[in-house]
Amino acid sequence: MSSSAKRGVVDQVTTAVKSSQIWRSIFRHGYPDTPLNQSLIMMGNVFLHLHPVKVSRQAMRVTYTWCLGGISFFLFLVLTITGVFLMFYYVPAESQAYGNIQTIQSAIAFGAITRNMHRWAAHLMVISVSLHMIRVFYHGAYKPPREFNWVVGVVLFLLTLLLSFTGYLLPWDQIGVLAIQVGSNMANYAPVIGDAVHRVLIGGIDQYPTGNTLIRFYTLHVLFLPLVAAVMMAVHFWRIRKDGGEAGPPPPARSDVEMHEATTTARELVTR
Amino acid sequence: MATTTTPSSAQKRYRTLAVVKQEAITRVEKQLEDSVFVWPHLLIREFLAAVLMSVMLTVVSLAINAPLEVRFNINFPPPAVAKAPWYFLGLQELLHYFPPTLAGVLLPTFVLAGLAALPYIDNNPSRAFNDRKLSITLFTMFVVFFVVITVVGSFFRGSGWQWFWPWQGEFFNL
Repeated sequence: MSSSAKRGVVDQVTTAVKSSQIWRSIFRHGYPDTPLNQSLIMMGNVFLHLHPVKVSRQAMRVTYTWCLGGISFFLFLVLTITGVFLMFYYVPAESQAYGNIQTIQSAIAFGAITRNMHRWAAHLMVISVSLHMIRVFYHGAYKPPREFNWVVGVVLFLLTLLLSFTGYLLPWDQIGVLAIQVGSNMANYAPVIGDAVHRVLIGGIDQYPTGNTLIRFYTLHVLFLPLVAAVMMAVHFWRIRKDGGEAGPPPPARSDVEMHEATTTARELVTR
Repeated sequence: MATTTTPSSAQKRYRTLAVVKQEAITRVEKQLEDSVFVWPHLLIREFLAAVLMSVMLTVVSLAINAPLEVRFNINFPPPAVAKAPWYFLGLQELLHYFPPTLAGVLLPTFVLAGLAALPYIDNNPSRAFNDRKLSITLFTMFVVFFVVITVVGSFFRGSGWQWFWPWQGEFFNL
């Protein structure tokens, strides 16, 4: 008696909320358990609309994609969120950077775990992007009509490396600064433009990274490269749709098909 | 003097509602794909993958601290070996054998340009494994080569880029 009365109240409140103007202004459709609502939610939700309404069952298989592209994007989101948290406490100045990291590690609530997540997610992203690329190659999914999206993917791979590399300097510890010194010294060896590139990277004529370098790498790391990556990702995801969705498992080879047809024909002839 | 404009057929605005590609009409023999709704079939997989990654990342981040070495000081003697981040250790290994212009600049540029140009170089239309033996062999050799030099640079090189064994404990910095 009391439980049915309670359910009655819950039902009434649910109905009242769902028929309120506020709810209906946010959700233009019912719960997606009918084909119509399953379509409407995909088309009407900005976060979902990069997906199509339906996908090929074969191409969606976890054992086909290994979720590697999605995991790379998810790690990018994790890195953005943890990175913004770190920006609240980090000042990209030679005199303060190292101390800020020590403070984040020891004195800030959730500072250590956030920095750890940022670091490990960055390494994981390099791995997941590389594996994604390798997976796409073996499935031949870079072939027409998806050539251009592969090129966009190569650019995103480079951006991932550059994002990780620019972040390496920011703690201003021994290994970070020396790694960036080794890396930026490479620029010196580029034909013709080498010297200029080195000056641009270091922010001066010094042989070692300086405060100028720190602010350059910081700006590249937190603003320039993520923005470029976000734009390239938008193109990358858009092009998946425009190029006909995921490629799906490769079809059998022509020779295999012919062989199969030949053997079945032969078998038919024999049994006849 | 301005006259009030009346909508007429001459002023009618047209909107493009859809462009139907020719192949969409003519390819009637194309079979209907075996497809499923993204909600819930794909979204549940994406959600579970995200949850799994979050849990993994949280556990690893609770267990292992991100490294932080001593503060950089230009007056301190540099360490015996300055290793780049692990994903560049393959290139650093190549620097041991080849001049910097080749290993540090030209080769990475060539590799990236080559990767980007791959779909335009490989004009074999088939995606089937058995039709792509050459490209698969070449790409596998390329991947194995980079993995090997990266592992060597990471685990087998120590002070002065001398050969060390992994159990001698001169690793790379994460």
